[in-house]
Amino acid sequence: MNYDANTYTIKDSGKIGTIALVLGVVFLGISVLGYMNDSAHFFLNYLTAYIFWISIALGGMFITLLHHLTNATWSTVIRRITENMAATMPVFVILFIPVVFGLHELYHWSHAEVMDPSSPSFDALLHEKKGYLNETFFFIRTFFYLAVWTFFGYMLRKISVEQDSSGKDYKLTYKKLSAPGMILFALTTTFASFDWMMSLDPHWFSTIFGVYFFSGIFLSGLTFLLILLIYMKSQNILQNVVTIEHYQDIAKFMFAFIIFWSYMAGSQYFLIWYANLPEENYWFLYRWGNTWESVSMLLIFGHFVFPFLTLITRAAKRNIKLLLFMSVWIFCMRFVDFYWIIMPTGMNEDGSRVAFDFNMYDIAPIIGIGGIFFWFFWKQFTANAIVPVKDPSLNESMKFQNT
Amino acid sequence: MSSNNKDLTDLKFQDELLFAGNPTFGSVTEDVSKVVETKPGQLWYVLFGISVSLTLMLFSMIGYLFWEGTGIWGLNNPVGWGWAIVNFVFWVGIGHAGTLISAVLFLLRQRWRTSINRFAEAMTIFAVICALLFPTIHVGRVWLLYWVLPLPNQMEMWPNFRSPLLWDTFAVGTYFTCSLLFWYVGLIPDLATLRDRAKDKWGKLLYGIFSLGWRGGNRQWQHYELAYLVLAGISTPLVLSVHSIVSTDFATSLVPGWHTTIFPPYFVAGAIFSGFAMVMTLALIARKVYNLEHIFTPKVLERMSWVMLLTGSMVGYAYSMEFFIAWYSGNEYERFAFINRAFGPYAWAYWIMITCNVISPQLFWFKKFRTSIPILFIISIVVNIGMWFERFVIVMTLSRDYLPSSWDYYSPTIYDIGIFIGSFGLLFTLFLLFLRFLPMVAMAEVKGVLPEADPHHGGSH
Repeated sequence: MNYDANTYTIKDSGKIGTIALVLGVVFLGISVLGYMNDSAHFFLNYLTAYIFWISIALGGMFITLLHHLTNATWSTVIRRITENMAATMPVFVILFIPVVFGLHELYHWSHAEVMDPSSPSFDALLHEKKGYLNETFFFIRTFFYLAVWTFFGYMLRKISVEQDSSGKDYKLTYKKLSAPGMILFALTTTFASFDWMMSLDPHWFSTIFGVYFFSGIFLSGLTFLLILLIYMKSQNILQNVVTIEHYQDIAKFMFAFIIFWSYMAGSQYFLIWYANLPEENYWFLYRWGNTWESVSMLLIFGHFVFPFLTLITRAAKRNIKLLLFMSVWIFCMRFVDFYWIIMPTGMNEDGSRVAFDFNMYDIAPIIGIGGIFFWFFWKQFTANAIVPVKDPSLNESMKFQNT
Repeated sequence: MSSNNKDLTDLKFQDELLFAGNPTFGSVTEDVSKVVETKPGQLWYVLFGISVSLTLMLFSMIGYLFWEGTGIWGLNNPVGWGWAIVNFVFWVGIGHAGTLISAVLFLLRQRWRTSINRFAEAMTIFAVICALLFPTIHVGRVWLLYWVLPLPNQMEMWPNFRSPLLWDTFAVGTYFTCSLLFWYVGLIPDLATLRDRAKDKWGKLLYGIFSLGWRGGNRQWQHYELAYLVLAGISTPLVLSVHSIVSTDFATSLVPGWHTTIFPPYFVAGAIFSGFAMVMTLALIARKVYNLEHIFTPKVLERMSWVMLLTGSMVGYAYSMEFFIAWYSGNEYERFAFINRAFGPYAWAYWIMITCNVISPQLFWFKKFRTSIPILFIISIVVNIGMWFERFVIVMTLSRDYLPSSWDYYSPTIYDIGIFIGSFGLLFTLFLLFLRFLPMVAMAEVKGVLPEADPHHGGSH
């Protein structure tokens, strides 16, 4: 890999991309074995990996939209990265196909008999939700989410890359794109979380679920951003462009959103625990009993207590080694969060909930989807300068100081 | 095209353009201190007279309430919580803007906050005082209020730590203490300025005592800045926690329409929304009365309108989520609660709420409305009304419980209305006294963001 600090471009970057692609294809191949081993488990697992990676892309989109809407200048140096994270959406459109095939395995509401009053397995409660939980509408919605995200991911990157050559100031164009983008982002991520995750257990409902998903999206995006930045730093890329001041600011966001995530998760848990209504508390009960206790505890201590205590000081936020460790740690915890939401909803033959069972097949879709995602990301990212070179606020961003 | 260019220049030099008329260190001190040092105009006395009268009405009605009991309100069965709880949540919410501006925006490096933070914090403190009044008088036997505190006593009786009403005591108490400290710490350098300028004996003595021997030395500033940062860090979680706790008053119950998981963040967003509206109202009045148009500039007001647009949309999001999930739950009681809100006997209140809180701030998408002072004033009032109705709509969920034979309609009595209006009198009395005796703009902070404060100011590099 060859980095040119004058033009901010990475040349002959192919190797990393190729490795990612090969890993992606090989591990997606391995997950086919997982499918043959236990198809129900596989689909849940695939969905977990899919949502885990798409939340990183969405995190990139959110950071970019936020940057434009708030007139931020400090984050101009990292904007090209987040733009390219968001621009990976076409990958996720393709990778959704297995979920389509797994629909009946994943979503109990998609079974025709539960909606059929004459059937012995008729479910009156689900019948009430038929207007929303039906296959046609589900696919229309999913198509809409992916289309919206693809559009905004594409446009944000396109305008920015155009600026590299034209040198015009697109501040107003960005804003006009980002304002409706943010509204659509809020609505699509909310309903995507309802459709893809909450409806796995179609009886359960929680009004905060969309915000809970959002808090995690932002965190996922930040961890990926930090890991990538620190990796590039080790390769002497973007030295003196992304400085310790930027790391501190990203770490502040990470710290804040660790708290925000815990606030969301805590509110949801606390209110349901307190009211103790059988129609909603069971969702937590089968995540507490049935061998899932350790995962629940890991989430509390690993996703909140430990990062909260570690990242609290200014010195910690300016310590690159610690930040690398913490971003990898939180990156893993993001996966635990999705795993904890999605996997326990699986059912055994007799209708009881599945026990915790993390096996070697579980790793395959994570690396598989991750590899494809990273290959596509890296290909687009290195195709142009890795900072928005002609952005008027770039200079100010590079000189940014935390006061 | 020319307007685009202008906008870009503004953004680029936003810090320098925050204040109009090229103020200097000297002119800021002069403009702000003048308000305190000169005798107020007739308008102040008129406003103060009205406010004090309303406050006296408040206290006499509270006196009657203590004598007669809460039966003088429109409370009925099933609506055991009436206007008192509505007003409590309303006032606590108002307070949030002050803390958000002083603490959260400080941590987010939003320098436009400097002109409004002082009196927003003052408003916080007075609003929390108004808020605390309502649960206090709502307990009925107010002389037993100390029972909510975990005091050791011979009765061996402890408050119920599982009760959200007890958490309120702690949450709002903590909030009040921290806000007061934060406000006071921020005031010290400005009090010292007033002390140094004071000509009469009382001014010298009182400003002298409360400025704690401030001399403006390097060391003092260092400690001050650190203390300010730490207090901002402590206050930030309080912005979230207080209204989250207040929301649990409703959300931990089993009442359909109250028990919903989005309540904590939804209440916080609503609180900030209503608080910004109130700050806007007060700022627009103050800048007119005291000729401070060059400090509370349209730039600052425009930024406030952005926050209102954001929080107003969040509140709109929460309303839709509640409605959607009530339907999605498939639970007929949940569904009924929301249909009843929108189309039942309180539909009028519900649609006032939607119009004021969700629709009206959407006007702020347009620069024309964000920069028009009359429109800002009207919307800020409209939002205040809407946010009061939000709490009213939530509380009135009680009026139709599980048993149709017990359904009832809450009609406020003259005492409900009088005590609520009286609480405005209390707020404005305290606020006018604050304007009279304390610097309403944080002079030291405003100076910090003036071009003059830039070490390179006037230099060629």
